[in-house]
Amino acid sequence: MVPEPQALTLPAGGASLPAGAPSAGVRPTMRRRISLYGMTFALPLLIWQILFFFFPLVFLVALSFWTVRNFAMQPDFDTVNWATMYGRTVFWQAYGTTLALAAAASVLTSLLAFPAAYAIAFKLSDSARRWAIFLMVIPFFTSYLVRVYSWQIFLSDNGIINVILGWVGLGPFPMLNTVLATMIGYLTLSFPLVVLLQLFSLAFIDRTLIEAAHNLRCGRVRTVFEVVIPSARTGLVIAALFAFILSFGDFVSPIYLGGGDPTTLSILITDTTKSGQQWPRAAVIALTMIGTLMVVAFAAVKFAYKGKST
Amino acid sequence: MSGAADLNRNRAVDWALMVYILLAYAFVFAPIAASFVFSFNSDRFPSLPLGEFSLEWYRAVANDPLVWQGARNTLLVGVAVGVISTVLGFGAAYTDYRYRFAGKQVYLALALLPPTIPVVILGLAMLAYLSRINLSGNALSVIISHVVVCAPFAMAIIRLRLSQMDPALEPAAWNLGASEWAAMRHVIIPFCAPAILGALFITMAVSFDEFAVAWFVSGLNETLPVKVLGFLQGQVSPRINAIGTFVFILSMKLVILAQLLLSGRSARVPEKE
Amino acid sequence: MTRDTLVSFEGVVKRFGAFVAVQKLDFEIKKGEFLAIMGSSGCGKTTTLRMLAGLEAPTEGVIRLAGKPINDLPTWCRDTPMVWQSLALFPFLNVRENVEFALKMRGVGKAERRRRAEHWLERMQIAEFAERNISQLSGGQRQRVALARSLVVEPEILLLDEPLSALDAALKVRMQSVLKNLQRETGITFVYVTHSQSEAFSMADRVVIMSRGKIEQIGTPQEIYRTPRTRFVADFLGSSNLFTGTVRKAGAGLELDSPVGRLRLAGGAEAGTSATITVLDTKTHLSVAPPAGNVNAVPVRVIGEEFVGATATVYLETAQGQEIRVQKGHDELADLPLGIGQPLFAWWMPEDAHLVAEG
Repeated sequence: MVPEPQALTLPAGGASLPAGAPSAGVRPTMRRRISLYGMTFALPLLIWQILFFFFPLVFLVALSFWTVRNFAMQPDFDTVNWATMYGRTVFWQAYGTTLALAAAASVLTSLLAFPAAYAIAFKLSDSARRWAIFLMVIPFFTSYLVRVYSWQIFLSDNGIINVILGWVGLGPFPMLNTVLATMIGYLTLSFPLVVLLQLFSLAFIDRTLIEAAHNLRCGRVRTVFEVVIPSARTGLVIAALFAFILSFGDFVSPIYLGGGDPTTLSILITDTTKSGQQWPRAAVIALTMIGTLMVVAFAAVKFAYKGKST
Repeated sequence: MSGAADLNRNRAVDWALMVYILLAYAFVFAPIAASFVFSFNSDRFPSLPLGEFSLEWYRAVANDPLVWQGARNTLLVGVAVGVISTVLGFGAAYTDYRYRFAGKQVYLALALLPPTIPVVILGLAMLAYLSRINLSGNALSVIISHVVVCAPFAMAIIRLRLSQMDPALEPAAWNLGASEWAAMRHVIIPFCAPAILGALFITMAVSFDEFAVAWFVSGLNETLPVKVLGFLQGQVSPRINAIGTFVFILSMKLVILAQLLLSGRSARVPEKE
Repeated sequence: MTRDTLVSFEGVVKRFGAFVAVQKLDFEIKKGEFLAIMGSSGCGKTTTLRMLAGLEAPTEGVIRLAGKPINDLPTWCRDTPMVWQSLALFPFLNVRENVEFALKMRGVGKAERRRRAEHWLERMQIAEFAERNISQLSGGQRQRVALARSLVVEPEILLLDEPLSALDAALKVRMQSVLKNLQRETGITFVYVTHSQSEAFSMADRVVIMSRGKIEQIGTPQEIYRTPRTRFVADFLGSSNLFTGTVRKAGAGLELDSPVGRLRLAGGAEAGTSATITVLDTKTHLSVAPPAGNVNAVPVRVIGEEFVGATATVYLETAQGQEIRVQKGHDELADLPLGIGQPLFAWWMPEDAHLVAEG
């Protein structure tokens, strides 16, 4: 048999160009310009999102400089709304509360979700894992609002939990309209998503890494902290970020489970819009929230990918 | 699991983790199950012990003309949102799959970011903007805002399918005499068909549940979730459980249908040698 | 250009941004020949094929098909069907629909489509699978479907991009003879891109060897094997021993002053220049005692031995550390002591050595 010179088994197209150069074989690209054909597919969503996503956000910026006279908004360029809102202690209290609640929810959800994600990823058979994932997806298709209402049935003074506690001679404990109830609402919102995101990042860990760690006399718990968590860091941080974003912007739990006290920024927005057409001030709050989320997201992504090449 | 892993297992820890998984699912499903159970319960203020079995709340919902109007709007909006989102999402997914161009990062950011913006903010911005351009207060405005949030999901689902396609398939069709349009019709769309239908159903289901944006944007023409919010704001009534159960069953039908399509035989990637 | 030229590349260059995939390609493909383009990954062979198929546009130069420039002709307007490395069969169509695809795109009527597809299904011996899904076929059957799908338009030229790389060794050899026979019977020009020397040399009438976007040598397999034109080709084929040195006058003849000693040259070189000669491993011989007569002999030690079928390859090393290989039938080696470290002499006739270009 004749030896095959450099018989590489790489796909010819993909391997025929060095990294960085456009890989001619892999991409079906034929022309460099986007043609009429390409535009037909690329433009509709772009136009839609510019018109109905980008422009509304830009308009929100403009709106924050408008003024309200006699319960009517007028186009203007006045920093009065920014000055008013930023000058109020209520605003800064709500800001601090929201930040603290969202951060707590993010940490709590991540901590509570991790053992579940870990167990699903490493302790279940393949078919059981598929079922577990399917079941975790179901909550996304039930109304969050209905689920929050349902928690009221559990948590109210005459609710399921207090009735059960009463049978053993405890309680009743007031649980509704507390921070605990708000947290349960946040968990309802983000727990399934965080479990799924953690699960996917754990699923990508090379199993042999874990066996190698055991082989090197790294104990079970130590392996989790020294091997599993660092390997899955990107996914774990991104999951925590999503929990933060969802909790930070949520207004259903703080109102219907937390009883509106303490006031969060989302409650403040709805209150501000309802009272005297103060939409420009609501815009100030909304923009502050977006700014905060951007900073947090940027920092989280930076941390998630720290020390990684891409 | 290999033998080595079994050797390293600790039964007590495994049991504890299994119990933990069950608790996690109990937490996730408790509100869903309770909503279902209490929708058939006669008590005005639901709690334990259970009252009598009753269809009272379903009757109350069925007799409320506003609910029917809301349900009709929900369906109408859902179908429109599903179709538009899927068409737009398909175009963007194909663009991302096929082309490289300057500013692609920006394009993808615009296409995918909306779901990460809190609904309160999105609702506020849209209501302000849409009322400014005289589009607020009708079903159209709800459709517009739902598509903004749903199209990225459709795009993600279809993009995933495209990434499973042999990249030589489309050029092979061109090479056999198919123009770009013909290849789109005879190759890309047939290949993506399961994902396209899956995206259609998923975005419809998302639209059914999406309420907060609608609450801000919609005026008189309320969709069902808006109606639910109305109940909550005013007098709390177990009717919400009846509506919730109804919407849940509808949504789950769509999701299971999508699931079957996305994992079914027709969607399977041909095995490699 | 001659009358039997089907395709010509004239000064064709292909750049992707700053990266030059193909530089100044000038060659012709004759009507009815089986041409293999061979080289390692990244040599530009696939880009060359894709330009011919119309999947990439040349940055410079002209590609002519039957005399007409086709640079700006989109692939769907050319009759240059291709068999893909992945085969790229349409998974949502059955075998028959796959084969009919090209005819459907050309607007051929239903009955005619079916008739012509049937012909090729039978010819490729896959008619019994016509209604099957692609996923139900074996690797060899898929290969035949891919060929039928491309040939159904009865093209003048068929392009093949490493179509056998996914098959196991035995099936590969069987498909090679299927391809060769098909090409001979139909008289269709085959352009076959591969990195496999065995595929290229066993099927092709002519072989193009490419490296870094340039053609190193074009010729029949025999020519290339016996007289590699450049050092790259000799290295690439891996079946020759190379010696580099300075050419000197030695009496009436010439000598190569190389690290392993002075080697007699048969001619063709110019005194004072540096040169490289190659000697095929089958033309290199071994003996215990220094051979007599007008030969070049180098003292070596045995470092290893490898058996493939009826032949054996002996690996040797000179005192300077240069590796030398010798390939022989088993019986020719029977009388030699071949233990590791055994000192021997490797020798060849000066006329069995060829000068190659540097590069």
